[in-house]
Amino acid sequence: MPRKSVFFRSMVPLSIAGVLLAGCSTGGESPDTSQTATDATLRVNFGQFPENWSPGQEMEGGLLRVPYETLLAPGSDGEPQPFLATDYELTNESLTLTLRDDVTFHDGEPFNAEAVKANVEFVQSGATAYAGPLQDISSVEVVDEYTVRLNLASPNPSIANTLTSRVLPIASPAAIADGSVAQTPVGTSPWAYDDSASVMGSRMAFTAFEDYWGETPGFANIELYAIEEAESAAAALVSGEIDISDVEVTALPRFEGSSVETLQYPAIRNNLFFFDRGEGGTFESVELRQAVCTAINVPQMIDVEGEGEAATQHFAEGELGYNSEITGYPFDLDEAQSLYTEAGSPSVSVEMVAAPYNSQQIEIYMTQASELGDFTVSVQTLPPPQYNGEWNSGRYPLGLSSNDESTPFEWYSAWFSAEAPGNPSGVESDELKAAADAAIAAGDSDEAEDLWADVTKIIADEALTCAHLRGVETIAWNSSAVSGVSAPDELWEPKLVNYRELTPAE
Amino acid sequence: MLKLILSRLALAVPQLLLLSFFVFLLTYMVPGSPAAAVLGEAATPESIARVETQLGLDRPFFERLTEWYVGAFQGDFGNSYVSSRPVSELFLERLPATISLMLGGIIVAVLLGMALGLIGGTKAGSVRDRIATAISSFSMSVPEFWVGIVLVLMFAVQLRLFPVVSYVPFDVDPFGWVRGLVLPSIALGIGGAALIARQTRTAMAETMSARYIDSLTAAGVSRNKLIFGYGLKNAMVPVLSATGITISIMLGASFAIEKVFAFPGIGSLMLRSVTGKDFAVVQGGVLLIAVMIIAVNLILDVSYGLINPRSRPQ
Repeated sequence: MPRKSVFFRSMVPLSIAGVLLAGCSTGGESPDTSQTATDATLRVNFGQFPENWSPGQEMEGGLLRVPYETLLAPGSDGEPQPFLATDYELTNESLTLTLRDDVTFHDGEPFNAEAVKANVEFVQSGATAYAGPLQDISSVEVVDEYTVRLNLASPNPSIANTLTSRVLPIASPAAIADGSVAQTPVGTSPWAYDDSASVMGSRMAFTAFEDYWGETPGFANIELYAIEEAESAAAALVSGEIDISDVEVTALPRFEGSSVETLQYPAIRNNLFFFDRGEGGTFESVELRQAVCTAINVPQMIDVEGEGEAATQHFAEGELGYNSEITGYPFDLDEAQSLYTEAGSPSVSVEMVAAPYNSQQIEIYMTQASELGDFTVSVQTLPPPQYNGEWNSGRYPLGLSSNDESTPFEWYSAWFSAEAPGNPSGVESDELKAAADAAIAAGDSDEAEDLWADVTKIIADEALTCAHLRGVETIAWNSSAVSGVSAPDELWEPKLVNYRELTPAE
Repeated sequence: MLKLILSRLALAVPQLLLLSFFVFLLTYMVPGSPAAAVLGEAATPESIARVETQLGLDRPFFERLTEWYVGAFQGDFGNSYVSSRPVSELFLERLPATISLMLGGIIVAVLLGMALGLIGGTKAGSVRDRIATAISSFSMSVPEFWVGIVLVLMFAVQLRLFPVVSYVPFDVDPFGWVRGLVLPSIALGIGGAALIARQTRTAMAETMSARYIDSLTAAGVSRNKLIFGYGLKNAMVPVLSATGITISIMLGASFAIEKVFAFPGIGSLMLRSVTGKDFAVVQGGVLLIAVMIIAVNLILDVSYGLINPRSRPQ
């Protein structure tokens, strides 16, 4: 047999063997349970990496809270607790923060009042998603090296709560100044970004920061992965390539018989808003709004979609703003039609917009509402970026979306006050304004709780919003690699896990 | 040959100008503002207007278009609205992953396609020809995305032979680079193999039925030499054409494959930019991808000209 022929005949099976051996030799990675806490690496997937890591950009909590920390942290009771700031004093005119004096950024820059000022001003003035919540801050004053005062243009009893959230992660002012923070986050957390161990677009490695000011966490290192596709993320969990991921409920059957465990926590709140309620507006009538709310059957929608939980109000029991007297608008078609008649049985034919992720929900609600009579709302689905800019722009008389304001002041200021950006009609009843003014004036005193409960009761009674739905976040983890997983303290932040309490599995 | 290259390049310039104009126009006409995408759910009309001014999106169309053309001629495609990074930098850092994936996919497509075409074309009408045709039809009809997921479930989850998260840069770990490319290359190449298989099969069947083949057979030339020495060489011309089309199709299909295997390539960047209305990246990206396709087709045209001198411009 000619040599050339033998050579070529041999090449094919040898090539196939080589490829298979390449796969066999290292195979899929199994979880390394032999790591000690001092060198353990936690491998996490929460989907796409942020395109911009700058403070104030929209980022999932599970990504943001790896390199960054906040001035205050939410306590288990929801009240702001010391973190990068050891103490704070809130008045109607200002919030004064006393800062830790032992904190260093990952690039060696000192954390101090100037750094806080740089961060606040950056978020306020840049093309950032979270400039809005900081607009009440009229100026930032450096009182001394470790004392900073945020002067308020108007009273803001929630400003301390705002500082526990994703609105203001604290980044190195040097990285902000030279623009590098957009690509390489530089914060104060136990985990510093390590470019040499990262693979662009695929894996971001954060290694132990030796000068960290606080307690060493159970996992010294964290690797973030960007697996967007739900099936691939589930597969990577089962195969042991990653330790924690957010998952879709449809992927849960994949984990049967494996060491993957799951938990769910409430992370999303959405509800219907009536925007066109000014004089002569489509939804000027309280009775009409109440009729629509009573015609909507949220539990039925949940049965169709397969997930979610109906709620009577925006705030959960135990949260500031919750009012046990609010019963919401339980579905009752007869009552709805009666209210519709009281409203004069107006002929309504309007349009509203939806995004792909909530179009089914909105279609179901509007189909239910059409049972009132001569009431038609046609739904147009838009791509998410367009939807974000249109749904509450004032062009549509009603809309539905998530609203993640965590305090009643923020919620009222964002959607219901006459000046609220989410209230295009600019309409506010005297009763609501008086109640809100009283609650704001109460600051963070003990009586504020009851006063804010009054505010949310008025909002509910006037049916300014309704059809409250709570969505859940589903987190899955490999229990043979990680232990201590539970819902995060940060309320209503999707895609997050309690990083600091996690430890390698025994 | 130089004439061929120059004529193709001369044609490319107006193609690119026209393409970039239409892309710019389309992105300009799309309803909604990129500023809303930057701001996310916190967008309000006031904040949108503020960010539009910051990004220069409130300027007239022709002013923006002119500025973009001037920049593009100098290799500056502007900055991403979201990350503020130069568009060209974003693409350059993702190019190695896309080239790796395309290379793997092309190898699979060519090898598999030519193998199927040879098996069928050397014995047209036989059972093995029908089987090879059925396989290539099947590979053409299944979506690459689905193939990718099946491969992941089978080889990464069940058998643990390959990773799910597959990309490793060559300079970091050459062995890992190869291993990480196996599954995505198969997923991407299977669809492309079908077109090449059909072209190869048709060309081989025609060639093997030619009279000169009968003469060579009568002269005692071995079957293998007939197939590989004469038949395949003549079949390469249509195969090259099919390969060029396949590469263009695979570039589009690679977007889905990148998502399944978490590949940090140009596809995932473009998908993200289109859905996120980061039109600066979309505009620059379409132009850069068009340049890539034109370059690949130029290489194939040159190869075609080398193999078949009659195709060169006189």
